[in-house]
Amino acid sequence: MKGDKIPDQDHITRYCKPSQAPDGNIQPSAFMLRVNEESLSVNWLGYLNCINRESEIAAVREIYKAKFKVGATAKIVVLNVGEVRQKVLNETPDRRNLDVLHDPLTDDASHSGIYNLKQDNELIAELILETVRDICSVRE
Amino acid sequence: MPEVILQEKWKRFEATQVSSIAYGDKYIEPNPPSDYPYTGAWNLRTLSLQKDKLSHMGIPFNISATANQAESDILTISWNENKNPFTQEDLLERAEDQIQEYIFRIRALPAFHYQESLASKLVTLLNYEKEEDPSSIGIAVDSLRNFFNFLRLNPNLKNPIISLTPDNNIYASWRSANNQVFSIHFLSNDNTHFVLFKPNERHPEQKIRVSGTATTDILMETVMPYGILDWIAE
Repeated sequence: MKGDKIPDQDHITRYCKPSQAPDGNIQPSAFMLRVNEESLSVNWLGYLNCINRESEIAAVREIYKAKFKVGATAKIVVLNVGEVRQKVLNETPDRRNLDVLHDPLTDDASHSGIYNLKQDNELIAELILETVRDICSVRE
Repeated sequence: MPEVILQEKWKRFEATQVSSIAYGDKYIEPNPPSDYPYTGAWNLRTLSLQKDKLSHMGIPFNISATANQAESDILTISWNENKNPFTQEDLLERAEDQIQEYIFRIRALPAFHYQESLASKLVTLLNYEKEEDPSSIGIAVDSLRNFFNFLRLNPNLKNPIISLTPDNNIYASWRSANNQVFSIHFLSNDNTHFVLFKPNERHPEQKIRVSGTATTDILMETVMPYGILDWIAE
């Protein structure tokens, strides 16, 4: 349901444009907000009810391909919710408490958002980069 | 560049004079005749700036048709006089021209040895953006200009990793083997946001993390106390 907190043990994915992963290396810019964005768009893997990580990633690939044109070298990064929250809480000067909330869209039921990133977004983006668990290509 | 046709000289200057009367001095720029190339009807201001900057950098700028302009004391800038509204396509084309110009100027920076590589990275990023959305601006022009100015002021730095933020701004990073990080987000208003991580030598289990905002011209002196130049300068 919209606004539900995603449990710390769950995993989320973030779409990284080719320009945010030059040479296949994810850059902090992948975790930055647009000027008018309130939250960082992610997908809640647990919501997809798949049997394993591989099928979760396959499902996320289909969602991305249906929603927008995917660049040839675009990446999917996997993050653990609790690890991201803990890292940012412990290592930001203001002990930032991020919220990771379910934010379903009509064409993307697992869509979610990381909230409370706005101030010092660059520092937080660098910290989130350090928590990346896995990287996959969007195009198989 | 159009070919000079001497017979049409007076026709061109006559039009100029008519324009100066019609619009008053508001749009008139006094101009030594040998100083401007003949560019057609518009965009003289941009070309003039380009010429000054390129000349300053020691890059030859081809001025043509000066003989034809010898009797003209005044040229009008028709940019503001154009009554046709710009379309989105016009704006995009103009932005793309500016992006290409800045990439060209980065490639021509004299004090670097990796300017080719940097220019190629920018072209690749531009192509990545166009691949996903052909109507995208690609790289934010003002951020690119800001980045170019930073490079000119700091020619002694190692080749950074560059990527684009969701707003198409340039994000440059330097990373060292011992987990040192220095990143700069080039904003569109001559400002930057920066982040640096470095080991805390007295408390090895801790890291020093600093972030802030500085104008591009004083950024490096702002971060100097953190020993950044020890590992990002060549």
